Amino acid sequence: MSEPVIVDALVAPGHDGEAVLVVRVEHENGVVDSVTLDGRAAARLLAECRAETTEALRGHPWRRLLSVLEDPTREPSRENG
Amino acid sequence: MRDIIIRNGTIVDGTGMLAFRGDVGIDGGRLVRVGGKLAGEARREIDATGRVVAPGFIDPHTHFDAQLLFDAQAKPALEHGVTTVVHGNCSLSLAPLRAGDRGKLVRMFQQIEEMPDAAFDGAFEWTWEGFGEYVDALRGRVALNVAPLAGHSPLRLWAMGEDAAMRAATADEIATMQNLLRECLEAGAVGLSTSFVDMDENLAPVPCRHAHHAELDALSAVLGEYGRMLQVVPEFYNTDVTIARVDQLALLSLAHGIPTTFSPLFDSAAVPDNVPRVLDRVAEHFARGARVWPQVQTRPIDISFSFEVASLYFIQLPMWYLILRMPRDQRVGLLANEGTRKGLVDAAEPGGDTSRFAGLRVRDSRDPKRVGKTLGEIAEERGTTPAAAMIDLSLEEDLGIHFLAERMGHEDPSRIGPVLANDLVHIGASDGGAHIQSFATYGDTGYLFSEFVRKGRYLSLEQAVRKITRDTAQIWGLPDRGELRPGMAADVVVFDADAIARGDEVPAHDMPGEGMRYVRGSSGVECVIVNGEVCWSGKDGYTDARPGIVIHA
Repeated sequence: MSEPVIVDALVAPGHDGEAVLVVRVEHENGVVDSVTLDGRAAARLLAECRAETTEALRGHPWRRLLSVLEDPTREPSRENG
Repeated sequence: MRDIIIRNGTIVDGTGMLAFRGDVGIDGGRLVRVGGKLAGEARREIDATGRVVAPGFIDPHTHFDAQLLFDAQAKPALEHGVTTVVHGNCSLSLAPLRAGDRGKLVRMFQQIEEMPDAAFDGAFEWTWEGFGEYVDALRGRVALNVAPLAGHSPLRLWAMGEDAAMRAATADEIATMQNLLRECLEAGAVGLSTSFVDMDENLAPVPCRHAHHAELDALSAVLGEYGRMLQVVPEFYNTDVTIARVDQLALLSLAHGIPTTFSPLFDSAAVPDNVPRVLDRVAEHFARGARVWPQVQTRPIDISFSFEVASLYFIQLPMWYLILRMPRDQRVGLLANEGTRKGLVDAAEPGGDTSRFAGLRVRDSRDPKRVGKTLGEIAEERGTTPAAAMIDLSLEEDLGIHFLAERMGHEDPSRIGPVLANDLVHIGASDGGAHIQSFATYGDTGYLFSEFVRKGRYLSLEQAVRKITRDTAQIWGLPDRGELRPGMAADVVVFDADAIARGDEVPAHDMPGEGMRYVRGSSGVECVIVNGEVCWSGKDGYTDARPGIVIHA
């Protein structure tokens, strides 16, 4: 059975001037959605996927992303408004 | 004899009507004449030949709560032409607040505003607990007009104590908050602010984030009794969730007959459909009669970083990113190692192409002469390359030097211009007085005119003025403001339409305790009048006048 996969990841500016990583995920039905990660979460995602670059994140299942997002010890991937 | 006559100006009255030539007369804090030729003399005459005379600008999203208590002019907002600020955004206001809860709230404020401890400890006297007492502390002491919001987080702290940051409220606690909000609105609050995003100093959700919808619905019902604003920070980093919040705000708006607004909403190449999708949903809700105003900022978003923390800015350079994530001692050792340094430079500047870092600017340095220079300029002075200069400077300053990658998001005028011109978009979200150690949140109004009126021509002069004056006053229900019309309050800005702009971002050490912040001066603004008194002029700077009032919606 197929599952959502990471299709790309781009660096973008966050509201507070920090760089963030916007990870785009393609679902089984073709819908593409994005998740924004802060620096710590992005570093953990790279480690989780054993990727050195954002290009190397492509094709990894979104389970890797979920494990980063669900890690209770992580810093929130959010910024102050 | 009149108090002030502004002669021969180009009057842009805030309604969107075409500009016209004429004089503006002011008496007793009110506009008494707008247009035509005024006979007689005035105590102060201002020659506005070749200049625009417009209503004072209104900034609907600021965090000047603490600053106003030790800096009556909210510098440098006033010199940009801003005569009214809404503060208390994002769930945080300084009232209502029991004395015993001050420490908790101050730490939340510091997380957002980045104000030094001295700003809250000794820079002003805490004379209040209730909202009315807080308003009294501002009354008669501020140069510009203030329109305070009541923050949802302090309401919860008052009603629930420490549990405010742990759980949903009980029915009794919600009723307590409702009564408290009523008191705030009676005392002059222009609405309620809440947030689905903000964090405290421990990176835990601020108290309002523990509220269930029923609590927000009950508080919105109170807002409905007064027709006042609900301001919200949605999960702006996710388009789908933002749209869900837009739906929620529309529900509250329709159920209680209240205006709502949310911010920030910004554009980036990484999520190009974010703004269009959210605005499509906003338009659907307006068509149904809801009021859900998205606030969009004018200024582009920069990325700032130092080598003290690994920034994602370097993620496309694996060797850099790897080294910058190492423990500090190891990081410094590798950066200082000649072989590693060469490898880093070669990776960043393949084939001698130095374009990657040449445009980065030094934003903060021990050496003031470095601030504002590009790495390309510094590299040329040192006879090296930008990448090598960045490494060397970081080592010389013990990693304390900060760099700026400008215009990394919300930067494409061809995308932002039409959004700002959209009648359903509320120009705002400046965050004035917040993030003060990260970037300057001043001058967005000047940038609106320089970038989107003069350069890009996405808005007419009259339209741009209307968006930040009358439209803002109407959206927030601020009476007496936003138009140049006889009988209205005399909040006036005189500026050169060919020159108005924001200045460069520079560090300043003017916060209490010599705390540092980034500021921007203005250019092209010549005179700022609040309630009939000149509070700033290009010639004389700030005056001692304190004519600002607490505006009751």
